[in-house]
Amino acid sequence: MASATESTRPVVFTTSTAYPLPTQKFMIPTSWRRYQLSQLINKALSLDKPIPFDFLVRGEILRGTLAEWCSERGVGEEETLDIEYIESVLPPQQMSSMPHEDWVSCVSCQIPRTFVTGSYDGSIRMFSYAQQLLQTTHIHDAPITSLCVLPQSTGNRTYTIATASQDLTARLTKIQSDTDSPDAPSSSQTLASLHLHTSPLSSISSNSSGSHLLTSSWDALVGLWDTAIPAEDEISPDDLAPGRVSKRRKLANKDKSESGVRRKAPAQVLKSHTARVSKAVFSSEESAAGRSTAYSCGFDSTVRVWDVESGVCLQTINASEKPMTDLALMSSSQTALASATDRTVTAYDLRVSPSSSSPAIASMLHPALPSCLSVPGSHTHTPSSTSNSNMHQFISGAYDGVVRLWDLRSVKAPIASFKVAEGKKVLGVDWLGAAGLVGVGGEGGLEVWKIGADGAAGQT
Amino acid sequence: MASKDLKRSTKKRKQVEDEPEEEDLSRAVALEMPSDEEADEPAFSDDGEVDEFPEIDAASDSDTPDEEGEGDQEDEEETDAESDQEEGEQSGSDNEIHPFPIAKTIISDITKQPKRVYPEIEAEYDSDSSTEDDPNRVGNVPLHWYDDMPHIGYDMNGKKIFRPAQGDELDKFLDTVEDPKSWMSAFDKSLQMDKPLTAEELDIIRRLQANENPDADYDPYEPTVEWFTGPDKEEKMPLSAAPEPKRRWVPSKWEKKKVMKIVRAIRQGRIVPSKPKSTQPQYYSIWNEPTDSQHPAPLPAPKPALPTNAESYNPPEEYLPTEEERKEWESQDKEDRERNFLPHKYGALRLVPAYDQFIQERFGRQLDLYLAPRVQRAKLNIDPESLIPKLPSPNSLKPFPSYRALSFVHGKGRARCLGVSPDGAWVVSGDEGGVVSLWEVTVGREVKRWTFGGKIGSLDWCPRTDVSFFVIGVEDHLHFVIPPNLPSGVLTATQSLLAPAALPPAPATPSPVKWVSSSSSASLDEPILTLQLPTLSGLPGQITWHRRGDYLASVSNREGQGSVWIHQMSRRHSQAPFKKVKGSIQMVLFHPSRPDFFVATQRYVRMYNLAEQKLLKTLMPGIKWISSMDIHPSGDHLIVGGYDRKLCWFDLELSDKPYKNLRYHTKAIRSLHFHPTYPLFASSSDDGTIQVFHARVYNDLMTDPLIVPLKILRGHDIKDGLGVLQVRWCRGQPWLASAGADGKVAVWCS
Repeated sequence: MASATESTRPVVFTTSTAYPLPTQKFMIPTSWRRYQLSQLINKALSLDKPIPFDFLVRGEILRGTLAEWCSERGVGEEETLDIEYIESVLPPQQMSSMPHEDWVSCVSCQIPRTFVTGSYDGSIRMFSYAQQLLQTTHIHDAPITSLCVLPQSTGNRTYTIATASQDLTARLTKIQSDTDSPDAPSSSQTLASLHLHTSPLSSISSNSSGSHLLTSSWDALVGLWDTAIPAEDEISPDDLAPGRVSKRRKLANKDKSESGVRRKAPAQVLKSHTARVSKAVFSSEESAAGRSTAYSCGFDSTVRVWDVESGVCLQTINASEKPMTDLALMSSSQTALASATDRTVTAYDLRVSPSSSSPAIASMLHPALPSCLSVPGSHTHTPSSTSNSNMHQFISGAYDGVVRLWDLRSVKAPIASFKVAEGKKVLGVDWLGAAGLVGVGGEGGLEVWKIGADGAAGQT
Repeated sequence: MASKDLKRSTKKRKQVEDEPEEEDLSRAVALEMPSDEEADEPAFSDDGEVDEFPEIDAASDSDTPDEEGEGDQEDEEETDAESDQEEGEQSGSDNEIHPFPIAKTIISDITKQPKRVYPEIEAEYDSDSSTEDDPNRVGNVPLHWYDDMPHIGYDMNGKKIFRPAQGDELDKFLDTVEDPKSWMSAFDKSLQMDKPLTAEELDIIRRLQANENPDADYDPYEPTVEWFTGPDKEEKMPLSAAPEPKRRWVPSKWEKKKVMKIVRAIRQGRIVPSKPKSTQPQYYSIWNEPTDSQHPAPLPAPKPALPTNAESYNPPEEYLPTEEERKEWESQDKEDRERNFLPHKYGALRLVPAYDQFIQERFGRQLDLYLAPRVQRAKLNIDPESLIPKLPSPNSLKPFPSYRALSFVHGKGRARCLGVSPDGAWVVSGDEGGVVSLWEVTVGREVKRWTFGGKIGSLDWCPRTDVSFFVIGVEDHLHFVIPPNLPSGVLTATQSLLAPAALPPAPATPSPVKWVSSSSSASLDEPILTLQLPTLSGLPGQITWHRRGDYLASVSNREGQGSVWIHQMSRRHSQAPFKKVKGSIQMVLFHPSRPDFFVATQRYVRMYNLAEQKLLKTLMPGIKWISSMDIHPSGDHLIVGGYDRKLCWFDLELSDKPYKNLRYHTKAIRSLHFHPTYPLFASSSDDGTIQVFHARVYNDLMTDPLIVPLKILRGHDIKDGLGVLQVRWCRGQPWLASAGADGKVAVWCS
């Protein structure tokens, strides 16, 4: 092995982090691993606080020695390697745990310093970072399947939350809350209910400006809504529910704020799916013509691209026998991730034309059914806030209770994984990229974990 | 010769001694005796009479000294002949027989003293000395040693015997012509000359030619000598002094028994005297009757084919094999060869080599003798893999369920039954604790729960899509329940169906089954409609819907007339299709397209036409106890599973016997289900496994259904000997839901 230790290899280091090395060739012994390389950079830059780095050799994370990597790829002895280094992902740490009485189906970290969870008992709950329950609002009689917080520019403490439920409706609820002072009185008011679907809703999401909503349902429809609250009911209750039945079903709501709830009709209905639609999201950036694009996936094993204004399906990506459970768009909006019941998360290239044979880029295998996906900062809609280091990363939650952090550049195994609850399903994850905080909702309630080296998250 | 003579003489002497008084007889006998036995031994014939006939000896001796005195070799034959004659004369008178040669006393020439001179012993023909009169004394040596010598040997005195003059061929010829006796002479090797044969030798030659005994004195018709027969010749003295045994004079007991046996047989008529020996006439035609037809005549041996040109040692050129033919012949196995030889050309018959297969052929014949097989076949070496039928790989038949996506746990009791909603989104499962849970297929979160008093025996979801409800079978009751979160239109339609405002007209024949609807405004926690089956009809073990959702059949586990009911939703009427039920009914099924109804009893599956109310056919699966069955969505194929682990696939068009028997489970089969759209079916068993099969049915009637075992799903625990109790497919997806005795309901995804 003496010769192996002596053999060296020319290497050029590049980085997009705040710790660049001078561009020059280094002769690196091929027996070096990540640890030695990381020490080299720390020593070369003489950082006062050691920062661990991960190394991407030609887009793949280095897991063994350089010699092993070269022999696997068949790279010649004399070739110069371009190694990009990124800040290493520290082992995830559990920050807090907030048990719920019922299963948590969805989590949102979008309100600053607050977690919002939607639960199967039909309520949304707000927690502060100090693990304090700020507010519980009962919105639906049936389980809430999805929620999203409408982004808004106003700086006051009033948020509009859209929830989708199995009772065939979605609702817009205005919540006033002060996260800094939990004792302050908080109020909530259901503004409108969205009536379109004839089956339980599976997801709801808003666009970056908060002006429109997308709902998806088991009845293969995707509804497009605006968020303006109409003065009058757009749908008469008689049209909606002829007979006495609907009255009975609305009875519970009538007690609270039935008078204030306006019935809204969809602005557009996107019909093309042939089976249950499991997720519909807006594209994070508007296209050049000012037309916004939406993406949806469903149990018919397709990912569909919609022109929202016209309600036309622009493109269909067909996967074979992959009923999809969740969809997420990478921040570059060029890659869609879809988790499927065949225990894979597949990345699809959205730029390819429909004629292209296989738009699937990579497929990441899970030991259990992946139920939810999240990319960092997917709802902050400010690309600058996501550091370049994790633009290739996403997390997935699965039914085996494990949340995995993946990097699209190394798809064979997750970068990191942590077990939320033994044998309890994870149903919703949300990753606040900038803070490195991950909210994980599932059978066991809400858990907050910290991922990433960003020191800004260490406030709690 | 001497010893032989001695023996004979002693014998004779004994006789003479024993019977001295019978001289006349013996004399008469003795007249012939010398002629046959002792003709050539006159001198030793009798000891006792030596002294009585001295003079004859003298006469006979008188010749011998004369002859001996001459010592002539040439006269030997004559002396022989003479002696024969003399002997013949001597034999004629037995008085002249001398036992010893008579000595003569003469005056020696040399010593002038008297001396006794015995006549020289005449060597007879068969004596050893007869060969010693050869004048050439060289012995039995090859005479060509003397070829280049002037002599041909030595005589008795060591003198050379010179080679007689040899005439040339002409002389020999002249001799044969001139000498009339030359044909009676033979070449004497030792003397190298022709010697005339004696009359005795000629006689021997004649006898040999006539195939007679060469001995002239041999008499083949010699009379018997009666040694001990006749008066005074028998032995008078006993040979032993032992007393005479008793058996000589006591009558034999065993003889008496044997005789008595015969006497008894005669008395009883078993032995009939003068019984006709055979009924057959003395003379009859043996070919009169036809041959026995039971035994065919033995086959004649096959005639060997005549040899052809190819078998010749020198065949024509066209019969000779070419090089390729020779190679092909050599490469073939011995048994496969058309001929067991190759034609070969030899220039001459003497060039034909020995048969090279000689040893092998002998060995083969030896094997035949030992009854050993002559052909030693190699053991059949079949790869067992090649016997397995070629089935497509399961990977090419995806999708099928392969892993457990989630499991829903029932707290108490076994999960006995489950139902999947027609849209494939909801599962309703019931356990033995009386709890019915409704939950999502993909998440497994219980959405609603109903609790009933007794065990939940069966569940099924109405297949209609315009209404949505399911039926729960508990003890003596069928409950109809509406799931929550329905669109209002569906909910209204369901409520109006189950609890209509205006009841349909009551049927003419009142049914013992009561239909009780609760008010439609009641909450969803209570069943909206309840069917009260006749009391003591037991737990409905199975509920099955007709495809259109209007008819519902229930099977109760109590035997008797009321175990099977068919309920019609639109008319709110129940009827028992069978007046009299033989045996316990295990399961019933509606045909998906025809008005046919399948009823599985313990051993058979009967197929009835409900419209015409008649039995169409009886399927015989050969299962000891049928547990479950399901029909293919096409309606042409039926699978039947039994508690004896067997699964039978019936092609209803084909036969009432199973097309295929599958036996993959190690314990009793509990449940079977065909996927409504995918070509899949699943079977669950008490061994805790679920087996998924690919079952492709072709529209082409000529193509057999393709059944491929795909996957064994393990994960359910066996509890109290019970495994997976029911399996159901989710419509639209290749997903499977299974209820186990361990209280878990699992969803298996692809």
